[in-house]
Formats: sequence, structure tokens, C-alpha cells
Amino acid sequence: MRTLLLKAGATLLTFATTAMAAVYVTSHLKNPVAPLRPTVLSAPSGATFSAPGGQLTVGPSVQPSDLKPVTSTYAS
Amino acid sequence: MPPSTAVESHHFAALGTNCSLFAAGRSPAELLEAEFSVRRLGARLTRFSAYSELSQLNESAGRWFTIGEELEALLRASLRAFEMSAGLVNIAVLPSMLAIGYTRPLSEGATVAMLEGARPLSPLPDVLSVRRGAAHVAAGSALDLGGIAKGWMADRLCEVLGPNALANLGGDLCAVGAGPDGDGWPVGVAGATLMLRGRGAATSSVRRRRWGEVNHLIDPRTGLPSRTGLAEVSVVAAGGFEAEVVAKTALLVGPELAQAYCAAHALAWWLGPADDD
Repeated sequence: MRTLLLKAGATLLTFATTAMAAVYVTSHLKNPVAPLRPTVLSAPSGATFSAPGGQLTVGPSVQPSDLKPVTSTYAS
Repeated sequence: MPPSTAVESHHFAALGTNCSLFAAGRSPAELLEAEFSVRRLGARLTRFSAYSELSQLNESAGRWFTIGEELEALLRASLRAFEMSAGLVNIAVLPSMLAIGYTRPLSEGATVAMLEGARPLSPLPDVLSVRRGAAHVAAGSALDLGGIAKGWMADRLCEVLGPNALANLGGDLCAVGAGPDGDGWPVGVAGATLMLRGRGAATSSVRRRRWGEVNHLIDPRTGLPSRTGLAEVSVVAAGGFEAEVVAKTALLVGPELAQAYCAAHALAWWLGPADDD
């Protein structure tokens, strides 16, 4: 008898949890104030500088400087 | 501002170009030893000597050939470069190089171009297999490591000379550590100065190493010199090897796609249009 009660209780609890979850999910389909795009996509993609013969694009992880370079990249 | 760190520098000619090494906390003797290591490795990787390890591998096309650790690592890196570039960086380019007349160092002059002998390149994984201590080049194919080797060697030099060092091998460079003043190494890129720390930079160009209507940058899709509307690309990326691959690929994809390609793969970039545009 006790076993039967436990099984019935577990079954009821399962159905109740499923029903509550279904109600919650269907009433929260989306967050109307959520941003349309992830923030990372709107992060600055880099700065553009005038350079001889074209434009130099510098991403946020590289810092431009006014220092004199110790060496350069070049075509060899 | 933190006090400046004493930096030792060393400049020399090797690999057919100018090389510069900078390192904090290293002695002149250590930089000289690094130069010797560049020369030793360069002698093993050149295609201009019949006795080099690379030439011996090319001579052994069609059968497995025993190779050293460095060449094995570089060949594996070249296979990665092929994947990274969707096939546009392909070291199985030597037959095309010979067809355009680049048969010897350009200081000795190019030979007659036989462009009708150039063919689109086979996919690199189809003609190059690498296993521990050995490599196999398909019969009829041959390898030229070109700029890939310089970027790769610059990265290796920074590992040896680090933790605060910069190696520049003919414009393909790698910089690690805080540099002389703690903000990274000031490096010239397209006329501007960028602070590089744990980064690499490279320039790919068809303005140098050209003769007549021919330039040295082969488009694997045709087996002929590149003509894409771009003449020169400079790139900053995670390392010297990666920068070289991205710069060469951007130049080969042309001006329409290069901007988007660099935005996805580079940390800074400059695209130079072809002179006749």
C-alpha cells in the first residue's frame, strides 16, 4: 500500500511539474526588452587610419602609437 | 611610465633578405647564436641548393623521405596554411615558379618564362603526406616554402629569445613580451606605428620580386602569377606564420573579398591596390 502511494505521489508530482513548466514557457516566449543582437556584434570592429596608398584598419586588440618603430613589416 | 628596458639588437643578411633581432635580457652572443640558427635552418630549407633538405625531399618525389624535426613541423604548418587559406596558400608551387623563370635567386636574374607550362596546383594534401620523421611528395610535384618559412622561423626565434623579444625576417615578424617600455614593441605597419605584444606581422606583395609582366606570387587556381587588383597587403595577426598566411590569402582573394577576409582573420590590416587601378 505504501509503495503504491509513493508511486502515485511521484507520478502526480511529475505531471504537476510538467504542467507548470509548460505554462511558464508558453507565457515567456520571448523577452520584449532583449537586444536584437548580442552585444559583441555591435562592439567596435576597429579604427581606420589614412595610410600611404590606402587605409589602415586597426582592431581593438592592437594599439596605435606615436613612438618611432624599432622595425617594420615590409615586402621583401 | 615604467623605466625603459635595455634591449639588445642584431642585424644581418640571411634568407636572401635583411633580418633583425631584438631582445631584452639577452647577450650579443645569444643573438649571434640565433643568427647562426637562422642560417643553418635557411640552408636546409632553401630550394636554391641541390644539397638542402628541401631539395633532397623534392628529388625524392614519389617515395617517403626521412626529414628532420624542423622540416616536419614546417610541412605540417604548411598543411594547416592550406586549410586556413581555403587552398590559396599552397607550397606545392615550385613547378609554377620554375615555369615563370624563377629558377635561381633573383640577384642572379630570372630565366626565360615558359608560362604555357604552368598548371593549376593540385590540393596540397593530395601531393604531400607527413608522418613522424618522414614526408612523401607525389611524383611530379615539388615544394617551395617561400614566405611561409620566414614567418614560421620568426615565431620559433621569439620562443627561443623570449619572453621579451622581436624577430623580423625580411618583413615577416613576431613580437612577444612587453617591449622596451612595457606597452609592447613599436612596429611600423603601412607607415603607422602599432604596439605589438604576442603578435606577428607580415606583408605580401607583387611589387617586389617581379620582372616584366611576371611576379613571384603564384595563384594556385591558375598556376600563374597573381593578378587580383591588389598589389600589397600588410597584416597583423596572432603570430608571424599566421600573418604571412592571412596576408598572402588576402592578396590572392582580391579587393572585393580581402576586407571581409581580413576583418575575420587579422587584428590590423592595410590593403594596397594594384598600381594600374
